[in-house]
Amino acid sequence: MAFLADANSQATAAAAARRKVLEGLRITDQLFRGLTMSSAYFVLILLGAIFASLVIGGYLAFATFGFSFLTTEVWNPVTEQFGALAPIYGTIVTSFIAMLVAVPISIGIAVFLTELCPMALRRPIGIAIELLAGVPSIIYGIWGLFFFAPVIQRYVQPELIEAFKNVPVLNQLFAGPPYGIGILTSALILAMMVLPFITAVCRDVFETVPPVLKEAAYGMGWTTREVVRNVVIPYTRVGIIGGVMLGLGRALGETMAVTFVIGNAHRISGSILAPGTTISATIANEFTEAVGDVYTSSLIALGLILFFITFIVLALARLMLMRIEKKAGA
Amino acid sequence: MNLMSKDVDTGLTEKITVSNLKFFYGSTLALKNISLPLYERQVTAFIGPSGCGKSTLLRVLNRMYDLYPNQRAEGQVMFDGENVLDMKDLNLLRSRIGMVFQKPTPFPMTIYENIAFGIRLYERLPKSEVDGRVESALEKAALWKEVKDKLHSSGLSLSGGQQQRLCIARTVAIRPEVILFDEPCSALDPISTAKVEELIDELKNEFTIAIVTHNMQQAARVSQRTAFMYLGELVEFGVTQKLFTNPSDKRTQDYITGRFG
Repeated sequence: MAFLADANSQATAAAAARRKVLEGLRITDQLFRGLTMSSAYFVLILLGAIFASLVIGGYLAFATFGFSFLTTEVWNPVTEQFGALAPIYGTIVTSFIAMLVAVPISIGIAVFLTELCPMALRRPIGIAIELLAGVPSIIYGIWGLFFFAPVIQRYVQPELIEAFKNVPVLNQLFAGPPYGIGILTSALILAMMVLPFITAVCRDVFETVPPVLKEAAYGMGWTTREVVRNVVIPYTRVGIIGGVMLGLGRALGETMAVTFVIGNAHRISGSILAPGTTISATIANEFTEAVGDVYTSSLIALGLILFFITFIVLALARLMLMRIEKKAGA
Repeated sequence: MNLMSKDVDTGLTEKITVSNLKFFYGSTLALKNISLPLYERQVTAFIGPSGCGKSTLLRVLNRMYDLYPNQRAEGQVMFDGENVLDMKDLNLLRSRIGMVFQKPTPFPMTIYENIAFGIRLYERLPKSEVDGRVESALEKAALWKEVKDKLHSSGLSLSGGQQQRLCIARTVAIRPEVILFDEPCSALDPISTAKVEELIDELKNEFTIAIVTHNMQQAARVSQRTAFMYLGELVEFGVTQKLFTNPSDKRTQDYITGRFG
């Protein structure tokens, strides 16, 4: 009996000591919790603050021009008539063409790297892609203006104009003269800039395909093409779309490189060879010289529109992913 | 020319003849001079403790190891008069020697497409004929009744046992000559296991079958020949019944009586 009582009191003492330690731990745990939570909320606050300042700054423009701010092409600082249609158009069209070019190439590179490339080449090519992602956009801009645009002007645009001059619709799309700088050149530069991002994401998600699934596909006698098309890409489509959206987000907002090569013309042309402008290029170009409240406010309103476009793109991507997942899970 | 040798003792045809096969993972020798036949329309089971090389042997037969660098095989694997190790067209080889894996691996497409895709890859057939082939493959895999009303839903929506039978149906549908089973039941419940075993027994009337299994009862139930492997060596190969009741090697006896492994 005495022995039991002794054991009991020992146990109580041990429990008390443990409780004390736990209390100490609980305080640090609370602290940790508060710290991570405030970090998370900080992002929300930041986002809200940016949104609020854009709304406040752009209010004057919307109050002055109303809804027609979104639908007019005129951009005249002298008469203080501003419309956002040309930059919106330029932003969407350059990004769209950039995606059209970059996505297939990126997926191609990623497929080659993960499925076909000899081991010895895998690392060098992978590193080259990562380096490409690290090139500052100003360098793309300078290179685009002094080297790429003249090359396009001399060798590519005349060919395009010549090739499509008798084809209806396309002859409008590729109408001359060859300026060099313009929508197409910007889109191609953008494609080069987003390519490493999309490639890196695709490569990473391709590597998540379980080897046994690929073995099963090769085991059916399929060639790499079938395995990639019917197993690797369907299996990873969610990740691929994520990568494309990452690239698209970057393309929509890219400023410096585009500003160099787009020509900064506030008009909408049917030809993708013609100069144009994008939202971010307009803001970057004109903010320092914006005199008058309406001008400044119009530029901030452009920023708000870009914010919305990016938001809509991300929301659409989410929606698309949800629908795909629902379909695959059914 | 007689491409396939008849075994004098058994009267069976050797569909695949492995001789002096060595296999390396990098510089590690994983198979040490394996020689054995796979008889046509017979089930050959491979048993042995983990890491003994039985799965490796299976992966040599359809050159699956080729997907990975630093893996190589030496020796001879004669398959209808040709050495598998020298073959150039691996797609053709793998369409003739099908494989079913340990885990069910339905492709991310519909049940119907899982089977039809493989058929259409090799043969240009009218849709009605493809439909027929899909149905007969599913029938052979004892899955038709369960899926005939949902052929166009995802293969991933099936249960594990059904998925494994779908994989078998898919393999059967392209009409291979040999089917390799790599522990096909290790992820399945007993009922699904029984179904797959029954199926393998059926399939041997049409195909030459090799099965790797950890389950000795399973080997005894489904196979006519059994190979016991240990540490990369083929310890014993013979008629299943004899190997399980009267093994000639001490190690075989120890393994099948559960003394190690």
